[in-house]
Amino acid sequence: MREFFVPTRINWLHRANPAVKLPLFILLFGVTVLTHRIDASFYLACVFLALLFLASGYPLWKTALLASGFALAFASASLTMILFGKGSEVWWSLGPISISKESFYRGLHLGFRSIAFGCQGLLFVLTTSSTGLFYALMQRLKLSPKYAYSFMASLRLMPMALDELRIRRDALSVRGAGRGSSASLLRLPELYALPLLAQSIRRAQRTAVAMEVKRFDAGSRRTYYYSSPITRNDGAAFLVLAGAAAAALLLAHLLPLFALGDMRMNP
Amino acid sequence: MRSTVEANVPVPVLKDAAKPGQPADKEPAQTQDRVGPSREEEEGTAEYAAEVRNLRMKFPGTPDLLFRDLSLNIRRGEKVLLLGPSGCGKSTLLQVLGGVIPRVTEVPLKAELLQVPDSAGLVFQDPDTQFCMPYVDEELAFVLENLAVPAEDMRPRIGQALRQVGLELPDPHVPIGSLSQGMKQRLALASVLLLEPDVLLLDEPSALLDPEGRRTIWDAVRRAAGERTVIIVEHRIEEVLDWVDRVVLFRGDGSILADGQAAEVFARCRDRMREYGIWHPEAWNEAYGEPAGEAALAQPGAYRAGGVLEPEEAAAPGTGPARGRSAAAPVHPAAESAAALPLLRLENFRVLRGGKSVCAVQSAAVLPGDLIALTGPNGAGKSSLLLGLMGLLAHEGSCEYAGSRPSGRRAMREAAAKHAAFVFQNPEFQFVTNRVLDEVAFTLRSEAESALNASHSGAFARWFPRRRPRPDAGAEALIAAQASACLDRFGLGGYAERHPYLLSLGQKRRLSVASAIVSDKPLVLLDEPTFGQDARNAFAILDLCERLRASGHAVLMITHEMEIAERLATQIWKIEDGALISAESTGRSPTAALRLSKEEPS
Repeated sequence: MREFFVPTRINWLHRANPAVKLPLFILLFGVTVLTHRIDASFYLACVFLALLFLASGYPLWKTALLASGFALAFASASLTMILFGKGSEVWWSLGPISISKESFYRGLHLGFRSIAFGCQGLLFVLTTSSTGLFYALMQRLKLSPKYAYSFMASLRLMPMALDELRIRRDALSVRGAGRGSSASLLRLPELYALPLLAQSIRRAQRTAVAMEVKRFDAGSRRTYYYSSPITRNDGAAFLVLAGAAAAALLLAHLLPLFALGDMRMNP
Repeated sequence: MRSTVEANVPVPVLKDAAKPGQPADKEPAQTQDRVGPSREEEEGTAEYAAEVRNLRMKFPGTPDLLFRDLSLNIRRGEKVLLLGPSGCGKSTLLQVLGGVIPRVTEVPLKAELLQVPDSAGLVFQDPDTQFCMPYVDEELAFVLENLAVPAEDMRPRIGQALRQVGLELPDPHVPIGSLSQGMKQRLALASVLLLEPDVLLLDEPSALLDPEGRRTIWDAVRRAAGERTVIIVEHRIEEVLDWVDRVVLFRGDGSILADGQAAEVFARCRDRMREYGIWHPEAWNEAYGEPAGEAALAQPGAYRAGGVLEPEEAAAPGTGPARGRSAAAPVHPAAESAAALPLLRLENFRVLRGGKSVCAVQSAAVLPGDLIALTGPNGAGKSSLLLGLMGLLAHEGSCEYAGSRPSGRRAMREAAAKHAAFVFQNPEFQFVTNRVLDEVAFTLRSEAESALNASHSGAFARWFPRRRPRPDAGAEALIAAQASACLDRFGLGGYAERHPYLLSLGQKRRLSVASAIVSDKPLVLLDEPTFGQDARNAFAILDLCERLRASGHAVLMITHEMEIAERLATQIWKIEDGALISAESTGRSPTAALRLSKEEPS
């Protein structure tokens, strides 16, 4: 599992400082949310999907596998709107379902935006290591080491909790618990939560004590193993990401496919 | 250099205890046996690395004081071993001496004088919970960051620390998860060495390691300790006994029973040590007598009853090199003579995990009365084999349970559930109810239910189960009676109403075995049943297994403990690199008489 998430190619986006990258991506999220024209959302989805495949540094099949989830996001975001949305120009209707021109395009618009959103998020996650992110946040954005190291420690504990979940499942199956009647279905959360939580709390407490024994003190001055400098890569990341967003908006203006107005009004 | 904390954290819970000023209180609550040279108390405190005078503490929610006026001095450079029964407060005292209590963990305590070293390095028991970073170098750097060491000095110091503990990694940027447990403990030691501590405190650092890991961690400690003061809490003392200067033996109530040179304390308090479950070098011999091997080996022919052991093979039961012949066709000593039907027979059996074979067994059989020790390095596939046998992992090839050959995973799981009981390593994961009695009754009840259900077991019934038929009142009473009889047999009779989680470690383990075998399944599979247990609990579990074996069950246990293999096992299965490479008979026959440890399980 760990090996799966090691990029095969390292590029400027990986080397960019996460403390710069994070605000940049938050800005991009903002742009995506505030896009109300279907042409713009369509091009945003296209451009960031392309960027995801080009810049994530992962082999094509892995990126495709990860991005395949977007199909679901697209379907779930758009179908409800398409089938049940309001609109004046009704194309087809059956009982509560009515597909109108407005609802159809609004649905597509929602779908495109969710793809754009997903691509941006995945691009950030795939190009940023958690350790790098927290080191950058501590050094550049003055995040308290207390939170940063607790997050990093908890990330380390996650695979152990997963292993234990598997063991608990096996143990329950050996004992024949947790299957059969619906009453035992209701007991499932209890059956899993108690041993797993008990174990996790004990482990977290031990880890915390071990960290303090190593003189971890959130208040005192500390040095950093990894420096987190601002480099040319950050400039490159800024230019490319801003360029991508600008290109999408420009394309929407120059080559509108749908040529519809603001989706919040009547398109 | 040192900080002195006086009368730290006075707490209301202690107010009913006698006030320190009262004369009666000046005398130690318990008399102390002082063996060896008496300590020169008059010397200046600079002599001492740590000093505790009249320490009292109490965990919230417990009725008793943990320590009642405990006094202990530890001199600079001394190597001290703290011994005592489980729960006597050794680890707590170590945390007090290391400054963890009350600085990090707040526990009400009171002391006339509590002087702890300024720089102490503590290594804990559990190799998995001492790290907060994903990579070896990052973890060590975390310590250096805390000390505000400049970033450019970090790499050389990381390399140096790793060399000090014998952890030679070409590139320290290695995921901690990829290290063995023993390597993780050495990493933990390396990380506290970076603190350059005056005092090194070790809290059972080898309890959760296999023999190889135990050896390497103690090698590393010896090498790294140098002139430092070292305070060790440990249950297994073979590896440290010849190295420590001083042994402090605690009673169960946290008072000091003996304090002196290792050999003297050991000679004087041997009975107490056995009672306290301390793994001393003679523990196995005391429990089971001198290895039977010596006597039997004199005439190898003596146990050739089955006619399968060649003399030179018999000469080294369990330790001889793997023989191709025995791996290919392990014939059980009794298999030819006795008509006993094997409980389990494996032919070309492979356990699959994610489509890949993780443990292959060409041919093997388990007979009633067998106690099989499944040995091999970590990650070789021992646990996978057991999971495969229970039908929890997919398998290929043939696996016969008492003559019937289930095909497919589901059938396998049902056959396994009928014939075999499984005891997991962590007993807590096996508990499904909120009461000790219910825990045992649960097995019986679900057994009774599945017997009632057996009448309609078609595909339709599988997907649309009718309401589970409940055992009637008579059956229910029988179950309760059976369950409490079983609890009595396991020494848990007094705890029937308790929540399983509130039992002690050894009791939890016994309960997990009790609930697995209460319904009298012929085959019992155990995953490292004695792992991390003190000697007392370990022998209690082994006695249980041996009783089962002698009553005609078969026991198959994963273990790293070669002593079990040599003293109790009838067969030793060695697993290496995902294959059973040898299944040798030890010469102990399945019909051998009961061999119990000499200590009565409490």
